[in-house]
Amino acid sequence: MSKKLLEIQNLKSSIEHTEILKGINLSINQGEIHVIMGPNGAGKSTLANVLMSHPKHEITEGNILFEGESINGFSADEKAKIGVFLSFQYPEEVAGITVENFLRAAKSAVTGEPVKFLPFKKALREQMKLLKIDETYGSRYLNVGFSGGEKKKNEILQMAVLEPKLAVLDETDSGLDVDAIKVVAEGVNTLANENNAILIITHHKKLLDYIKPNYVHVLLDGKIVKTSDGSLADEIESKGYEWLSNQGGV
Amino acid sequence: MKDILAEINEAPTIQTNRLPVITWRWLKVNEFQLDDFTMEKVLPYNKGCFTAVPSGNIDVKAMAENIHYLEAENYFKNKGNIGVSDTFVKMVDTFYNTGAFIHVKDKIQDPVIISYKPDESNPMIMDKNFIVAEENSEVTVIIDYTSIDNTSALHNGLTKIYAKDGATINLIKLQDLNDTSINLDSNIAYIGENAKANYVSIEVGSDKSVVSYISNLEEEASESNLDSIYLVNGSRTLDMNYIMSHIGKKTLSRINAYGALMGKAKKTFKGTLDFKKGSTLSKASEEEYTILLDKTVKSQAIPLLLCQEDDVEGLHAASAGKIDEDQLFYIMSRGFSEKEAKKLIVESYFTPIIDKIPLSSMREEIQNIMNQRLMDV
Repeated sequence: MSKKLLEIQNLKSSIEHTEILKGINLSINQGEIHVIMGPNGAGKSTLANVLMSHPKHEITEGNILFEGESINGFSADEKAKIGVFLSFQYPEEVAGITVENFLRAAKSAVTGEPVKFLPFKKALREQMKLLKIDETYGSRYLNVGFSGGEKKKNEILQMAVLEPKLAVLDETDSGLDVDAIKVVAEGVNTLANENNAILIITHHKKLLDYIKPNYVHVLLDGKIVKTSDGSLADEIESKGYEWLSNQGGV
Repeated sequence: MKDILAEINEAPTIQTNRLPVITWRWLKVNEFQLDDFTMEKVLPYNKGCFTAVPSGNIDVKAMAENIHYLEAENYFKNKGNIGVSDTFVKMVDTFYNTGAFIHVKDKIQDPVIISYKPDESNPMIMDKNFIVAEENSEVTVIIDYTSIDNTSALHNGLTKIYAKDGATINLIKLQDLNDTSINLDSNIAYIGENAKANYVSIEVGSDKSVVSYISNLEEEASESNLDSIYLVNGSRTLDMNYIMSHIGKKTLSRINAYGALMGKAKKTFKGTLDFKKGSTLSKASEEEYTILLDKTVKSQAIPLLLCQEDDVEGLHAASAGKIDEDQLFYIMSRGFSEKEAKKLIVESYFTPIIDKIPLSSMREEIQNIMNQRLMDV
């Protein structure tokens, strides 16, 4: 049996005194791919931000356990160091540091060990090739002047370099054309293995044409109201989310 | 000299860096008050100043009485207020103890590098620098003011640049005097038709630093760019007074100032875009952004737009703020501590400007200074 990586117990959170997450329960094992779907405003991105400790979100109740230990009070950098990664819905632009230098420094920060220049450069190039990112992007400032799709691919590149135990992909597919979705999906599939886990947050199922999840959860109004296998995504596609709220799941 | 010293020593405070158009006195931004400032005499500076002089059609000499370039001298003589204060400008103009005369007649690739490094035996720098670029010539001049010991130094400098038609002058200044020094730096430019002056100012030192730059866009299509970065820590004070004076038609100017304040630092930025009568179809923009790294800092910005002409375009913006929370979160999510992330964000503003310095040793020096100072955040 594979090891339990993440366990979320009755998680409630608020932002500026408004409750968003209203009791989330979710368990993720190593080697699994989970998908969270839900309409706008359900709390999907909030869950991603709470998992990564965005300072504006406050955990008001419940527990996040990572490899059996509570990480409720961890800051974002501490989470990164234990192997949690968030692919941002809106990656920030940081002028003044190149993609390559940023990632080398990040790798070193996450592992706590110095990263050798040349082997890193070589490994980075291979990852870029896999994600169909032009080599020249390595020497460009982080996300500055990147298109929406390039920023998203750059997030997956960061994930590939940092090799997290748990990767949370927040709407990585939104704003991407079909070709870019394919590239991102291929990247995710290549990186997924029996030692890590991936949590994909999305509100349409295009990405699921290329990635086969073990579980699909539906998030409505701050709670997970249904969990099933990949077929749930198809059901939502045909019936919409209304069907679930009418079922009395909430 | 006696008159100048008397004027300085007898005044309880000396007014410097006056705004071109004064505003409410209670705002305390009209000028920078230099309190309790006295000096006995101008001490000698007995060190050379040229670190690198390029070859080619260029004359580079130590400033001396017999050096003249009348056309430019007459121009500046008629310009009136040309720096931090009339008295300080008069002092260095007449009683300078070092300086450089650079006369360029061709496009010169390599930079002229000048270093003024005060120490115990040379605590005073009164540098008078004069850069003249003949038509269609180009030159880059780098001037480095850096303390090499903890002597309290006084720097009172005057740099005049004279870019004739079609010429380009790139001036880069680094000021890193120690935190018991006083820095008074006056800069003035004449820019001819289709000529360009690009000034990069890096201000990271001195207890009190008062800098002034007046750029006169005299002829059609003259262009002036100012990139200013500053890092003020401890209880240092920085006062900047920048004036882009549009006189010719279709002139173009830009001011970009970025800085970070920490500790009990104080900073005032004054940026004036002045469209004189006749400067039709001219464009100017200024942007100032200060990152406040501590609550105890004091930051003021006075962007001014003066217009005597209708058909011109002026844009100005100044803002100050804490570090962007989302940007900080993004960087921290990649494993960087809060301190490291803040440092990266400050550097993100500085690096594109530092990249304009064509000298790797100076770029590294500035990076090192920032690394050290920003570790206290």
